Amino acid sequence: MTVRPVLRLPEPVLKEVAQPVGPVDDDARRLAEDLVDTMRASPACVGLAAPQIGVARRAFAMDVTGHRKARSCHGLLVLFDPEVLLAHGPVVAREGCMSVPELTGDVARASLLVVRGTAPDCTDRVLQVDAFEARAVLHEIDHLDGLLFLDRVVSADGVFPRKVYR
Amino acid sequence: MECAKRTNEVEHYGPGVAHLAISAIGSDRPGIVAAVSGVLVRLGCNLEDTSMSLLRGHFAMMLVVSGPDDLAAELLEQDLSAATADLGLLVAVRAIDDEVPAGPPGELWTVSVYGADQPGIVHRVTTLLAEEGANIADLTTRVIGDPARPVYAMILDVTVPPGVDGGELVARLSTLAGELGVECSAHRSEADIL
Repeated sequence: MTVRPVLRLPEPVLKEVAQPVGPVDDDARRLAEDLVDTMRASPACVGLAAPQIGVARRAFAMDVTGHRKARSCHGLLVLFDPEVLLAHGPVVAREGCMSVPELTGDVARASLLVVRGTAPDCTDRVLQVDAFEARAVLHEIDHLDGLLFLDRVVSADGVFPRKVYR
Repeated sequence: MECAKRTNEVEHYGPGVAHLAISAIGSDRPGIVAAVSGVLVRLGCNLEDTSMSLLRGHFAMMLVVSGPDDLAAELLEQDLSAATADLGLLVAVRAIDDEVPAGPPGELWTVSVYGADQPGIVHRVTTLLAEEGANIADLTTRVIGDPARPVYAMILDVTVPPGVDGGELVARLSTLAGELGVECSAHRSEADIL
C-alpha cells in the first residue's frame, strides 16, 4: 500500500496536460493502486487524478459510494485515458479540491455523461453516470487537462474560503 | 507561481512586514483597480485577501495588504488619495493585527432572503443569527426589479456553531421571514471535495 502526498498549487504538474497511459502495463497498474490507496487515506476524498500525486498520465480513481448527492454509483472506479462521449444538462454546485484546500467554488458541470476509458484489468469500459458521479468524473478529467475548478468558477463571487473541519 | 512571487517579495521586505486594511469607493469607471494597485506596487505592498464589487454604480474595494512595517497607514492613505484624485475615490487605510484569527467552528449554511423592500430586513435577520451565535462569513444585498416595486434580495453565508441545530435555525428564519412578508430559504453549503 502506497499513500502518496497529494500535491497542491502551485505544483506545475497540476497545470500540465497529462499524457495518455496507452496499453496497460505494470506501471499503470501500480499507478492505479497508488491512486486508490491515496484516495482512501483521505476520508473526504471521492476522487483523485494522477497529476495530483505527481504523475502526468491520464488516469483517475473515484468512488462516490454513500455520497448523499450520488444517484448513479459504479463503486470504486479507476479509468485510464478517459474520454467523455456525451454530456448533457449543466448544473451549478459548489466543489472543492484536495489540491486547492483553502478555497471552494461554484462550478457548472454536466449532470449526465457517457464516459469511456480503460480499466486496470485492460477492459474497455463505457459508463453512463449522472448527478454527483458525473460531477466527480468531469472534475477528475479536468485534472488530466491541467484544469482546476478555479478555471471554471461561474463568477468572481462564486469562490469561497473553505471551512476545514478537524 | 503565486507563492514563489510572494516569497520573493517578503524577502525583499526583510523581516518587517505589516498588514493594512484599505477601503476605497468611488463612481465606477475603468482604471480604478489599476490606479490603486499601482500605488501599492510602488510602495512595496502585496495585495492579499480582497473583495471588490460594483454597488449601484459605485466601485467598492476592501483590501488587506501586506507591506513594509515602516509604511504608515496615514501616508498610504494620503498617497492613494492623491494618486486617485481624478477618480474621486474615497480612501481609508488603517493598520491591522498581523494575526489571522481562526474562524469559529461550525457548519456552513447559505441563506437567501428576498421580497418586497422594507426597512429592517437586514437588521432583523442578522439579529436573529447573532442571537443563535451564527457567524456571517459573507453577505450580499441587492435591490432589484421594477423601481416602482423594488425587491430586496439578500444572500448570506453563515457558520452555524456546534450545538445549534441548523434545521431549527432555518425554521426560526422562516418564521421571521413570514413576519416580514419575505421569502427565506437555506441550505447547507458544504462543498463536495473531489
